[in-house]
Amino acid sequence: MIKITSDEINILSKYIKDVSGIHLDSSKAYLIETRLKNIIEETGSTSFSDLYTKAKSDVSKALERKIVDAITTNETLFFRDSGPFELLQHKILPDLIDKRSPKDLNVAPLPIRIWSAACSTGQEVYSISIVLKELLFDLSKYNIKLLGTDISDTAIAQASYGSYNKFEIERGLTRDKLQKYFVANGDYWKIKDEIRALASFKKINLLMPLNGIGKFDIIFCRNVAIYFTVEDRKTLFYKIADVLENDGYLIVGSTESLTGVCPRFEPKRHLRSIFYQLKE
Amino acid sequence: MKNLNILVVDDDPVTRLMLRKTLTKSGFDVDVAEDGNRAIELMSMRFYDVVLTDMMMPGGVDGIDVLAATKAKYTDTEVILITGYGSIDTAVTAMKKGASDYLQKPINIDEVLLRLARIRKMKALAKNAGDLREAMDITEKNAGETIQQLEITVAELENKLADIKEILSKRYGDADERIDMALSILG
Repeated sequence: MIKITSDEINILSKYIKDVSGIHLDSSKAYLIETRLKNIIEETGSTSFSDLYTKAKSDVSKALERKIVDAITTNETLFFRDSGPFELLQHKILPDLIDKRSPKDLNVAPLPIRIWSAACSTGQEVYSISIVLKELLFDLSKYNIKLLGTDISDTAIAQASYGSYNKFEIERGLTRDKLQKYFVANGDYWKIKDEIRALASFKKINLLMPLNGIGKFDIIFCRNVAIYFTVEDRKTLFYKIADVLENDGYLIVGSTESLTGVCPRFEPKRHLRSIFYQLKE
Repeated sequence: MKNLNILVVDDDPVTRLMLRKTLTKSGFDVDVAEDGNRAIELMSMRFYDVVLTDMMMPGGVDGIDVLAATKAKYTDTEVILITGYGSIDTAVTAMKKGASDYLQKPINIDEVLLRLARIRKMKALAKNAGDLREAMDITEKNAGETIQQLEITVAELENKLADIKEILSKRYGDADERIDMALSILG
């Protein structure tokens, strides 16, 4: 296997941070080596700097996309950590629907916008959609929109297609939910059109400005900032504060903390879970 | 890891007997069915790791039907189809419908054993990944509870400190009274 030199670690980790936001320090050299091994072979690169040169000079950016896919972690599952989904079902959605529903029945309900900021292959987005369907049943009466974004084109493509193999559906989905919300197709299960239709997907690099994305009532930003530097984490949560409605809700990963990261948020507890809201 | 449970489905008694004997000798736990109907009946009674089924069988239920019935019932069961000579197209259709592999007649027992060894290895890897994930989930859950508790505690303390700071930094009023108020916030 081609070894990475210390100079190459610096060049590659800077490049990886630029294209994916992921911060890999020199202790993660093995990670760069193992994850880029196949691309090195595939492209016939003689060294890691050779691969870097190839990636930089590839105007189609195909190689860059491959590197992003190889480096990013797509560890995700349906209903990962039950807490946030119970929170959504029993606290956040009832509260928001109450606030956003007009008193006059002839007036259309106000939109509720939900953003899954690092949706990977879509499991979080569809888990949220399933909660919406189970709670509200007739979704046509509401004006709810979901946006899923991720840095990886490949992940976004799979999320958008909404098709999962047996290992993916076995994780987190009950047999009952699988039967209700998916259609079997050979060894794959595809999310039903009605659930799929609630969501749209888009490639977004969270380290870039979030211009034009609009405001959200609920933001899920779980287990992505953990791969960023402290500085990038701070910048990200300040930007998130800017795109969250004043009475909106932010949910981060169960082992993440915003203490010392963004003082604009305050944690609140509901039963066994916490969520964040903007300070008044 | 335990031995794989295998269901052999074939209408030819000679093949059935041969597979049952050799696979049992190789340490697998083997049941046999003489047609698709019997196979589906057996599957309703117990779980099989692998279903090894002939494609063409009498009785109206062929290998593809057995494959579909298996996949509908158990996502964890691997299906290997045995196809006649020159029926690659059928085999490809079967693979698209979720078969994990196919074998061509005449059956070469070494080939069967190789396929089974591969399935066993894959199942062992899947179990290993599952165990790791479970360990990670437990660790994450515990860490999450601790961190969330700390997060709330820190926020409460920050609020208390802000209140205390405000009281103590007032320039008017009795100093002792302000200290008492500050202390009462600390509880």
